[in-house]
Amino acid sequence: MSAVLTNPPSPPLQESPGLWALAWRRLRQDGVGIASLVVVVFFLLLMAASYTGLVAKDWSKEKGVSYANPSFMAGSENLEARAMAQKEAATRPPPVDLSDIDPLAPRYKEWEERAAKIAVTETKRAETLAFGGDKWGRDVLQKVIKGSEVSIFVGLTAALLATLIGTLLGASAGYFGGWVNDFLEWFYNIFTSIPYILLILAFAAVASASGKFGKGILPIVLILSLTGWTGIYRLIRAEYIKHGNREYVKAAQAIGASNWSRMFVHILPNVSHVALVQLSQHTVQFIKAEVILSFLGFGVPVDMVSWGTMLAEAQNELVIGKWWQLFAAGAAMAILVTAFSLLTDSLRDALDPKLK
Amino acid sequence: MTAYVVRRLWQMIPTIAGVILLIFFLFNWIGGDPAQVLAGKISNPEQIANIRKQLGVDQPVWYQLWVFVQQVFTFDFGRSWSTNEEVSRILLTRVGPTLTIMIPVLIIETCLAVLFAIMVAYVRGTITDRAIMIVCTVAMSISFLVYIIVFQWLFGFILGWFPVQGWSESFWKNLFTYAPLPIMLAVFVGLAPQLRLYRSFFLDEINQDYVRTARAKGVPEKKVMLKHVLRNAMIPILTNIGISLPGVFVGSFLLEVFFSIPGLGREIITAVNRSDFPVIKAVTVYLAVLTMIINLLVDVLYKFVDPRVSFK
Amino acid sequence: MILLTSRALKLSAFLAAVVIGLAPAAYAQQKVLRFAFRTAETGFDPQRIDDRYSVGVCENLFEGLLTYDYLARPVKLVPLVAESIPTPEEGGTRYTFRIRPGIYFAQDAAFKGQKRELTARDMEYALKRFRDYRNRSPYEWLFENKIVGLDEWAKKSRDSGKVDYDAKVAGMEVRDRYTISFKLKEPDFNFLYVLAMPNVVPVAREVIEAYGQDTMGHPVGTGPFVLKEWVRRSKIVLERNPDHRGYELETRYADTTDEWDRRAMESLRGKRLPLLDRVEIYPIEDEQPRFLAFLNKEHDIMDETPFAFIHQVVMPSGKLMPALAKQGIQVFRELQPELTYFPFNTNLTAEGRPNPVGGYTPDRIALRRALALAYDIDGEIDIVRKGQAIPAQTPVAPGVVGYDPGFHSTANNHDPAKAKALLDMFGYVDRDGDGLRDLPDGAPLTVRLKYDAGSAEKRQLAELYVKSLADVGVRMEAQGVQFADLLKDKKVSNYMMATSAWIADYPDAQNFLQLLYGPNTGQSNEAEFKLPEYDRLYEKSQAIPDSPERNAIYREMDRLMLAYAPWRLGVHRVFNHLQYPWVKGYKKHPILYTNFKYLDIDVAAQRAGTRQ
Repeated sequence: MSAVLTNPPSPPLQESPGLWALAWRRLRQDGVGIASLVVVVFFLLLMAASYTGLVAKDWSKEKGVSYANPSFMAGSENLEARAMAQKEAATRPPPVDLSDIDPLAPRYKEWEERAAKIAVTETKRAETLAFGGDKWGRDVLQKVIKGSEVSIFVGLTAALLATLIGTLLGASAGYFGGWVNDFLEWFYNIFTSIPYILLILAFAAVASASGKFGKGILPIVLILSLTGWTGIYRLIRAEYIKHGNREYVKAAQAIGASNWSRMFVHILPNVSHVALVQLSQHTVQFIKAEVILSFLGFGVPVDMVSWGTMLAEAQNELVIGKWWQLFAAGAAMAILVTAFSLLTDSLRDALDPKLK
Repeated sequence: MTAYVVRRLWQMIPTIAGVILLIFFLFNWIGGDPAQVLAGKISNPEQIANIRKQLGVDQPVWYQLWVFVQQVFTFDFGRSWSTNEEVSRILLTRVGPTLTIMIPVLIIETCLAVLFAIMVAYVRGTITDRAIMIVCTVAMSISFLVYIIVFQWLFGFILGWFPVQGWSESFWKNLFTYAPLPIMLAVFVGLAPQLRLYRSFFLDEINQDYVRTARAKGVPEKKVMLKHVLRNAMIPILTNIGISLPGVFVGSFLLEVFFSIPGLGREIITAVNRSDFPVIKAVTVYLAVLTMIINLLVDVLYKFVDPRVSFK
Repeated sequence: MILLTSRALKLSAFLAAVVIGLAPAAYAQQKVLRFAFRTAETGFDPQRIDDRYSVGVCENLFEGLLTYDYLARPVKLVPLVAESIPTPEEGGTRYTFRIRPGIYFAQDAAFKGQKRELTARDMEYALKRFRDYRNRSPYEWLFENKIVGLDEWAKKSRDSGKVDYDAKVAGMEVRDRYTISFKLKEPDFNFLYVLAMPNVVPVAREVIEAYGQDTMGHPVGTGPFVLKEWVRRSKIVLERNPDHRGYELETRYADTTDEWDRRAMESLRGKRLPLLDRVEIYPIEDEQPRFLAFLNKEHDIMDETPFAFIHQVVMPSGKLMPALAKQGIQVFRELQPELTYFPFNTNLTAEGRPNPVGGYTPDRIALRRALALAYDIDGEIDIVRKGQAIPAQTPVAPGVVGYDPGFHSTANNHDPAKAKALLDMFGYVDRDGDGLRDLPDGAPLTVRLKYDAGSAEKRQLAELYVKSLADVGVRMEAQGVQFADLLKDKKVSNYMMATSAWIADYPDAQNFLQLLYGPNTGQSNEAEFKLPEYDRLYEKSQAIPDSPERNAIYREMDRLMLAYAPWRLGVHRVFNHLQYPWVKGYKKHPILYTNFKYLDIDVAAQRAGTRQ
């Protein structure tokens, strides 16, 4: 009989969960965190739906009368719409004849005939809309949805760009030290010594005058990111200084990893949670800044709508009793920003519980 | 210590040089042409050229830069291009109204924020704590613009408690009649972020070892909070106040625009819109220098207050 | 020897108490008008300013040779410091004025304690100041190519760098202490209007030389008010000049059937004007605070109710809303002599690229006419202007001499069908299948509109135009530009389409028609419109005074403008001016900017009203 000792089956090898898995577990247990994540995801989905045209596709169609009341206020007075409806047809003197001097005169007859054949469709305008209409009669609810898409997109892209810039510069300064650090510190000091509104206004004025910042929402994204990278830079630089001296980095050097590799393949993953939190925070900051820029006239262009343009329009509407555009844009923004902020807090707690 | 201060002062120079370069190139290269605004409804190219000559903008770029540098060191930025008022006089007269609003805001906001933060830190971890933090977050998520529009309408117009806008010559009238609504607005809006920040400072202190020791020694909780935690948390709080001081001088341009307060913030916006370069230059340089000096003072003060930190 | 008996002391104390007690009561009896400007002022040196509010303040501090009668409509020139209105001599090239003796400047330190009488030399000095290159006067153009010898004087100063005010100018003859005669290079029948402008006023040389760079803050004129206090862009205080000779209301030209005239005559007849002791002006640029301040009775009058709130103020019929009428508020509705329009750049290239809207061939004209017809002018009036505007039919504004109220054309109607037909006819159809029209040669068509980024109103107009063109299938890009840059771009024709407006400097159609005069390219002719036939008619109209003949020429010029479409005409705005019932004598003048000289305040009513 051979005494073969069978080893008890060893417990399965447990991989120690990484930073992200742990964080996710912690986040899952945070009620507020999950709730805000849900809200943010909802807005992102809304954004996607709006972008693809599933909803709010014809936000710019003037469906209602001017300042149409919300459906729940159907009976209230609408002076603006009434004024337009009651407009008397002005009695006009007979029109003057241009045919003797008009270069187009030879083709007058053809012109008349063609014009007569073109049908002009008169759409009936609604007296009330779901959440009311703006001065043009556009549906406020659809505007808010489309505006969410634009505002969130502007906020996110600007934050992404700012984080990119801040991380790149911060990593370089923190890792290399020496004259690279000195130069970047000097650059940083310049940007932070100039008062923020002056910096933003200067960039905005330059963007509008030169047209070199591009068209559409590109100018405002550039303005926000080129002025907003400083906070990220500071934090990332501090992280890289801390990590640069760690053993794992020295080990990487020993196996022959290049500087860039050490910076972005080895250190960056350990620092990325800081960057993520910053990204989230700056998204919120830039969404709020877009509102101010739109108020000053430097926001998104005329054919687009954002929370900022809605609030800028709504400025004078409260006094005349039209509160719905102000409320809709303000509330949508408040909900998203709150959710995003709470999510940022929960993220930070989940990623670095010591800070709690 | 003097060596440290001297070194910091020395380091300010390249930064100021950088600020000058940045502003100069932004506004010279791509900024609007003020001669157009000043020239009036009908003007010919000759008149525009004349105006540009008078303003000195027809000189080569490097010459204008040299003039700018000289101006910085003599503190004489000349006269505003649009109103011909002396720039230094503009700044001096505008700072007053801005400070009349911002200093009370700073004081009231800090006191309230510290008070509430201590109270919240006292009940940390409870539902109350969480609830208040959420309320703060919600409050912070509403745009400042919305607050101004609603407050002005509600308190100024509907309730009539304050004048809707305005400013006067008398300091006391300003302080007690025109300033209260903007101050109230600014405090209301600024309280939430400050509260969150100070709460985190207090919590940092509460988690320290010495607090645990004090409790172990049997010191009552209230005394722990007030005597130990508060005193130590004052360091980051004071640092934070120091950092926000330059902002006090710039003021809130939104408040100034909506309430017709002739302050520095509103002046900056007007200057940018009119491409009034002398005013822009002066404001930027003065504020940059002020920011750097305040940062230096804060750092020096910090090192006095917290002996653990040494001068590098 | 003064005996300080206890009785004397008691008496003095009693008297002092009485005086101190009466002083605030005396102040309280002062007639104070409070109101807000809607844009900020720049300063009060009449030859160096052009913004309407600075000029408006100068209207009260200075006096020119001529002015307008307060009540007469249509507006009528009347003499102010001149003894009478001269008849044009030498075919409209010579005007001789005699200044009334006994008119004095307000007291100022520069006069070293002496009373300073107004002389003809002061007028000569002021006109030279317009051409003094150091002043960078925005109204220099008024005196360019006008007075004999003045251009040469200006050129000499500029070239030599030395400005010699003592050098004689042949076209300005000072014949004696009070007489000055102007000789013009060419006949100009509108010259009298120029001399009625509130900044074409005599100033004292000693004052200008004493204050050097600070003349903006030290205005010294012969007017009925003086500048008491000035906190830049925040507060302007005028006080009655006690040394002023005073005015009386002229009722000769009043219309007794007009209720405003009747009320003004009732309040002011026989009294020595001005009646106001003090005027406090507050520049408030933002609409909501300005509106609310008036409603809160912080101000006594509000000129130009912001359009945003118009429906809370007037009903569509033009009558005041009951809530305001209940308080006794009055509303004065006025069609101002101003015009908004969209200029097209008529050059063939713009911004370094070929310009599809430029040119004078039928296909290019057709494009402009179509772009004009596509614009929803009715939407602009209804929504942006809240019904407070009428569509412009000619480039001339109402209320000026030469305006034809009977002129009506369909070229500036909103007619998308005709616009589409025109575009189809001339080959502006969709060739690449993207749903938008292209040029006849197949290249994509994009119309670029530049507007003032800082103006919410202009942004709305841009929005509306983009939408209007989208409805007819044309792509438009609107670009918000800083105000200063927009001015420059328009002057050097660096744009395709832009927003623009013009308000009359003087009440003659010529002031508007010169905007399309070929040689004014690079100055006020933003569209760079060069039509020889138009220019010929313009020059012809210049040589004759107001007459049916001249009106016929103006009509021809209007027709040419409509046919060749260098502009898309906009609107003439209707303004609503509000006053509380304790303000008396109010009648808004179309050309004069302020009417402080003719207002009265019922102090008891004001106090009672503001206390509520």
